[in-house]
Amino acid sequence: MIGPTPAQIAEELRHFQARLAEGAHTLRGLGPIEAGVLPREPIYREDKLILYRYQPRVAEPHPVPLLIVYALVNRPYMMDLQEDRSLIRGLLDAGLDVYLIDWGYPDTGDRALSLADYVTRYIGHCVDQLCERHQQAAINLLGVCQGGALSLCFAALHPDKIRNLVTMVTPVDFHTPDNVLTHLIRHVDVDLLVDTLGNLPGQLLNFTFLSLSPFRLTGQKYVDLVDIFDDAQALQNFLRMEKWIFDSPDQAGEAFRQFAKDFFQQNKLIKGEVVIGDQRVDLRKVAMPVLNVYASQDHLVPPDASRALATHCGSRDYAEFSFRGGHIGIYVSARAQREVPPAISAWLLAR
Amino acid sequence: MAERPDPSDPSGFSIELLLNQARTYLAFGEQLQPFSERFHETLNPEGDWGETVRLHFDQLKTALTKAADDPGGHPELARLWNVTLDTWQQVAATLVPATLAPPADPQSIAWQTYQQIQGQYLNLLRQAAKDALDLLEQRLGERATTGATVESLRELYNLWVECNEDTYGRMLRSPAYGELNGRLLNALLSCYSRGDTPA
Repeated sequence: MIGPTPAQIAEELRHFQARLAEGAHTLRGLGPIEAGVLPREPIYREDKLILYRYQPRVAEPHPVPLLIVYALVNRPYMMDLQEDRSLIRGLLDAGLDVYLIDWGYPDTGDRALSLADYVTRYIGHCVDQLCERHQQAAINLLGVCQGGALSLCFAALHPDKIRNLVTMVTPVDFHTPDNVLTHLIRHVDVDLLVDTLGNLPGQLLNFTFLSLSPFRLTGQKYVDLVDIFDDAQALQNFLRMEKWIFDSPDQAGEAFRQFAKDFFQQNKLIKGEVVIGDQRVDLRKVAMPVLNVYASQDHLVPPDASRALATHCGSRDYAEFSFRGGHIGIYVSARAQREVPPAISAWLLAR
Repeated sequence: MAERPDPSDPSGFSIELLLNQARTYLAFGEQLQPFSERFHETLNPEGDWGETVRLHFDQLKTALTKAADDPGGHPELARLWNVTLDTWQQVAATLVPATLAPPADPQSIAWQTYQQIQGQYLNLLRQAAKDALDLLEQRLGERATTGATVESLRELYNLWVECNEDTYGRMLRSPAYGELNGRLLNALLSCYSRGDTPA
């Protein structure tokens, strides 16, 4: 039953307070926290977008470049968080030539950016850059989370430019019963939201994510932190993750309006009703080889939301890779480093 | 020439987050101390363990529930319940730059509507938290029947968190919460769009 006596509880509290005092001092002395560690070089800029090339880690990388399209939500350095937690490192080690789009931080001047700007203009221009740079007619595309949905749109509109498509924790069917984000946004007046605020504040998105598990994410996590106060390395890892969690860019208003209404509220992607610019997105035109990577314990993008791609895309070379973990673990867990980059690179290199 | 990404400072992490939760945990422990004291005083080989737990748990629940109903009375303890509402209120207060927003008019219909919906939101959170205490009592009872003991304050806190996540998660996924969450944000935005923002 309740084992600890009052004296034991008092002692535990004293110990906790002492650790807290020591830890606060340690925290202040940690200095800057680096996130995004691999050497890279900007090769193209447009507005706030920067296209980076990661320094290859083999003498002769694969001739077909791999472009990573990350979500507009949160920052893409999650793909290269630290030395021993970097999916990009794994892809480079396998011999791939890796590029990544950094969307930057939209501000009030970006309010009018639409999904057409992101898909047709930004992704399109980056793909064209890489085709030209590598003298290839088509490149490999890796879309992550929301970036996967944008990549699917691009691949459907320009199938000739994509040789192989990898989607990673990507929502396709937004109305599976376990989709808690759709549940939360279903009754939100998105027009009122965007018309009132312009861009969607990153803080509001962050609140949404924290509110999914508030007792763990805003309470217990910080109590547990006391346990690692004497481990500078663990503390730095913790702070790096904290930095990423709270580093939430605002979302360009018009792009958010369309994504929230068409994808989340009306589930138009699988209905073939999403329109980018003046072009309708038909997933059946995604006929190139597709690898769909999802996390079996994903609480943000349920596996069924991702796996719906199997029945909606037009590829006859469709494969899935199920990672046993969650939406964050698929980037940063030790097992992810062992399993995910090898699975993606082996699949790509075979095509 | 390859460039290394710029190092960033750890400013994403606010030490206040840590200190707030540490204070809350300490308040939780302080609340548990007299509970533990009474529990151990009345415990004897012939005693009715179940009755003892029920009796003291009712007292514990009363204290924690009081903190939820009157957050000003014991703010550290109230934070145990109100993490979601606290976070929401912080976000709501910063959604629109103050320069764009005149002070709230407490008499305006939009502002009163928002306050009313926020009250309903708080009630849902309170109910989930109260349900969590019932669940905690149930889990402790189940442990008692198997002879398992909670060995430390931290273990009890972790169990309490688990129970809250359980009942909160069920509430979060309910149609009522989805609908209320939408109404809450829409009502707040209506204040902004009419210039009746919170002070």
